[in-house]
Amino acid sequence: MIETRQLRKVYPGGKEAVAGLDLEVRPGEVFGLIGPNGAGKSTTIGMLTMTVAPTSGTARVAGFDVAREPLAARRASSVVFQEPVVDRSLTGRQNLEVHAELWGVARPEARRRIDEIVRAFALSGLVERAVGGYSGGERRRLEIARALVSEPRVLFLDEPTVGLDPLIRAELLDLIAGLRARSEVTIFLTTHYLEEAERLCDRIAIMHAGRVVALDRPSTLLAGLGEELVELRADGDPAGALAALRAHEVAGDDAFAVGSTLTVPLHDRSPGDAIALIRDLGLGGAVGTRRPTLDDVYMRLTGAGLAEAA
Amino acid sequence: MSTITHVAGRPPRRLALAAPILEPLTTLARRRFRLTARTPRELLVPLLTPILFALVIAPALHEALHTDASYEAFVALGTVGLLIPLNTMFAGLGVIVDRETGAQRELLAAPIRRALLVLGNLVVAFAVTALQVVVLIGAAIARGIDFNASGTGVLWFVAAGALFTVGMYGAAEVLAGRVPKQEEYIARVPAIAIVPWFLAGSLFPITAMPAALTWIAKLLPLTHALAVMRYGLLGDRAGLDHIWGMGNATAMAALSTAVLAAFGLVLTAVSVRAFTRRALR
Repeated sequence: MIETRQLRKVYPGGKEAVAGLDLEVRPGEVFGLIGPNGAGKSTTIGMLTMTVAPTSGTARVAGFDVAREPLAARRASSVVFQEPVVDRSLTGRQNLEVHAELWGVARPEARRRIDEIVRAFALSGLVERAVGGYSGGERRRLEIARALVSEPRVLFLDEPTVGLDPLIRAELLDLIAGLRARSEVTIFLTTHYLEEAERLCDRIAIMHAGRVVALDRPSTLLAGLGEELVELRADGDPAGALAALRAHEVAGDDAFAVGSTLTVPLHDRSPGDAIALIRDLGLGGAVGTRRPTLDDVYMRLTGAGLAEAA
Repeated sequence: MSTITHVAGRPPRRLALAAPILEPLTTLARRRFRLTARTPRELLVPLLTPILFALVIAPALHEALHTDASYEAFVALGTVGLLIPLNTMFAGLGVIVDRETGAQRELLAAPIRRALLVLGNLVVAFAVTALQVVVLIGAAIARGIDFNASGTGVLWFVAAGALFTVGMYGAAEVLAGRVPKQEEYIARVPAIAIVPWFLAGSLFPITAMPAALTWIAKLLPLTHALAVMRYGLLGDRAGLDHIWGMGNATAMAALSTAVLAAFGLVLTAVSVRAFTRRALR
């Protein structure tokens, strides 16, 4: 449903935002592109929605080449941008109607769809008011509702929950999760919230400095780090501590250090034995075990946490 | 999600071909109108300055300078030359607002030809300007200012006004694309909309200025617009004579109208091209 071949974007001044991206997203899939601010996620969505001109490479959306058949590709897709992009002076209903008309939905059908979506997204009490009076969460709900009025085959969501409080985020995630239960729309989602990606996505690609450094199902990416890992804060030189752990076969090649924090996937090794050895070697203060997260996957691949890099 | 019910039957071929242009153009124009003129006040307030000129300042100048009655009509049409640039230039602010609020990105993602985003704004700027010109002329007539217009004369007036409006809106779009902030845009409006007004024969014939300025005036589209408008509504060919110096008034009017047509066409094409290139990052 979405296919890119060596898609690249270099902004004026020479900044390479996306470097040779190769991706395939299957029909009906929820695909996540995760990475910190500046990784190239929004630029990727921009190129796929033809609001950013690629420097080179090709992309197809819903079977249409975005460069040769831009109108058809745009007609088959909808996008919810990271920044709010509603007309604040217009009412919610007027915003929905403009989208429907521009996407070529006939008036009677547009009215029916808008009424249905307004009910489904709990916008009935809001939709006749000017959007300028909406809260952030209400505006975001309206934007997602608007994107669905045209019944797109591909829905792009660029950081849909950024800047929202946890309660609103949880509601929106429920909403997005509900989309795939109700329709066959392919969803391409970017986020730097890992729990969103784990919860929603069939597959995720981890993006760093314009490149995809990993692409797989969240469970597969996590399985690469095993069921449990040890985390310790090294008292002295973290590199030396890591080398010592490797020499004693506690840490493998997938152990990594970020700052003075060492993370050691245990795989088949016993947590108790690992902690005892760490204490015997006098390598660190606080030592504990936990389950791996996508943040660990990201740090192993890039040497930085998503929160730190953002 | 429910399935879509397809409407049976096919529209005539001409309508089918025009639909991808007319329908989104109408939607964009309606959107722009709703954003621009939410209340009657927003349509009428911009008229205050030109009406002041036409109804108060022009008669006062006529009285003070002991000119003949035709001077009031001369200045009244001169104020049309102020109204059109001011209105179109301020309409260009909507482009910057769209960009600042992010609405432009939603429109760029829409499955429509991007030139329509410019043309939709032009339609509204043109319609609002036309309404205001009609009100201004109507107020001048009510004030007792006499226009001596035939049907052909009205057509000359309309052609000149329309083409000048189109060209000025193109200039507004080009400027809005180059300037990042509303404040910077507003700061540049006087140089584009007001300074030429003083040079283009609005209050006095261009030949009353030094020769160098008279030559500059001949290059201004507004000079041609005012000359054709006065020829059309007043039967006054003096402005055309000052530009072209030919014997045939109709030929001179046609030449000036052609200048305005080129102005309108070129600025519209440049604005569409500039928008399309700049809007895509």
